Amino acid sequence: MRTIKTTNLVPGMVLGQDVLFPRTGATLVSAGTKLTFDLIRRIESFGIREVIIMQSGKTQQEAKEEELLPVFTEYHDRVITTANEIFTNSEQQPVQARVVKNLVSELLEQVELDSDLMLNLTHLKSYDDYLFSHCVNVSILSILIGEALGYPKEELNLIGTAALVHDLGMMKVPNKIWKKNGVLDAEEVNLIKNHPLYGVEMLKDFPEEILSIVKEHHEKYDGSGYPQGLKGEEIAFKARIVGLADVYDACISNRPYRPRLTPQQALQIIFQDKEKYDPHILKAFISVMAIYPIGSLVKLNTGEIAKVIRVNKNQPFRPVIKVLFDRNGNKLDEPLRINLDDDRNNVIHIKDNLSAEESNAIMQQLNEEPGVAEQL
Amino acid sequence: MILMRAELINPFLGASFKVLKSLGNEHVKKGELGLASSPVKGDEVNATVGVTGDLLGQVIFCMSQQTASQVASTMLLGLPITTFDELAKSAICEFSNIVTGNAVTELGDKGFFCNLTPPTLFVGKDVLLSTKDLGFLVIPLETGFGDIKVYIALREADK
Repeated sequence: MRTIKTTNLVPGMVLGQDVLFPRTGATLVSAGTKLTFDLIRRIESFGIREVIIMQSGKTQQEAKEEELLPVFTEYHDRVITTANEIFTNSEQQPVQARVVKNLVSELLEQVELDSDLMLNLTHLKSYDDYLFSHCVNVSILSILIGEALGYPKEELNLIGTAALVHDLGMMKVPNKIWKKNGVLDAEEVNLIKNHPLYGVEMLKDFPEEILSIVKEHHEKYDGSGYPQGLKGEEIAFKARIVGLADVYDACISNRPYRPRLTPQQALQIIFQDKEKYDPHILKAFISVMAIYPIGSLVKLNTGEIAKVIRVNKNQPFRPVIKVLFDRNGNKLDEPLRINLDDDRNNVIHIKDNLSAEESNAIMQQLNEEPGVAEQL
Repeated sequence: MILMRAELINPFLGASFKVLKSLGNEHVKKGELGLASSPVKGDEVNATVGVTGDLLGQVIFCMSQQTASQVASTMLLGLPITTFDELAKSAICEFSNIVTGNAVTELGDKGFFCNLTPPTLFVGKDVLLSTKDLGFLVIPLETGFGDIKVYIALREADK
């Protein structure tokens, strides 16, 4: 239990002691009440300056997540390391379909266990070797989009496998080109634009359908893609899935030529150019990512700043969030979890996404305390 | 006895304009506010938000399916809405939630502390809306998405 100024109260906090009407002493709000926004304002309206709240205990769900997170993180790292090995050795030892397929099977299992945790991991760290974490992230995203489209497990494995190796061809592009910080010249652009074809050459062991996905993952629905400029239905459906996942992950990753974009900026970029994507896949994508994707930093209409940690199915505007700062900008000692889909929270809504600068400032602030960034 | 005081109705007007503006509708026109006796004709899409606390009742947003599809599409970052499915419905629910939530927050400044119940959506033809107090305040809005009618049936809770 601790004392808190009423101005710093956050909806969801639980009263540790009765709050009384100042004049009569009758009970205004009882101890044990989970405060809603209107209750907070009512308490404030009586000029009450301080109340006593209970320390937020961990729910079973949170405790379970805390247990799972290190396991998932370690697993995620391991997949990336394995991808790294497979790719780096691809010159000497051709990539084997069986090996990748098994890796993706494990990935599928993890995604099935807790897709939100996996999605959260695609955000957290900035890996030095972008390519390998990128391929794993695109694999996870493609699997989730495929799942939303109703594909069965076997097909999800195929999609995930294609996604994992989609950029293998980049191994044939000299490092200094794709790590370049400036404008690429025509020859460099050409090399990069051929990476889907290089990928196909390197994956001789793989089924035809996967090769078509690798070859066409940069084609765009409106015909503006490469290397062939295919349009609409000419592009393999699963290639359209991987193509979209590819763009999203590239946007939210740090690149040599620009820092990472916020999930919201990534969504905006994609939707500004929506003709480049298949509308069915865009819809499945939104149903997976929601309007406020996992990892987004948002501001509530009630003033708090929170991070989106879980998406509620069919409720793209009402995710589960973790409040990080109260409405006066004070950092909470213990982030408070709010499920916006909970009936009691209807008066709260997400007002805005934080800008890239604001987001980065907050991420920096949080990263200064080890362990916090690792939490959901 | 339904709410008719201007100071309590204006927050709903303000909130509607503000939210529509945020969806790109700068020039929303307000028709004549009126009273409509129960039952009133709804539209193809009707989103109800319940209000509890110091004020009790419902706020209902009525619009055609085409208008609703446009509102939903704008809220969903421009996703084309071809069928009025669960995703589109969730967007309309959120729209009504945000407008009512903003209005109710402003009412808090005037000393009326309210909470909201989750929105319910009614989709159909020839829907009739009735309220126990036999009347609604109507705010007709002309927006770039189409016409939206806001029906308010609120009364002060007995203290």
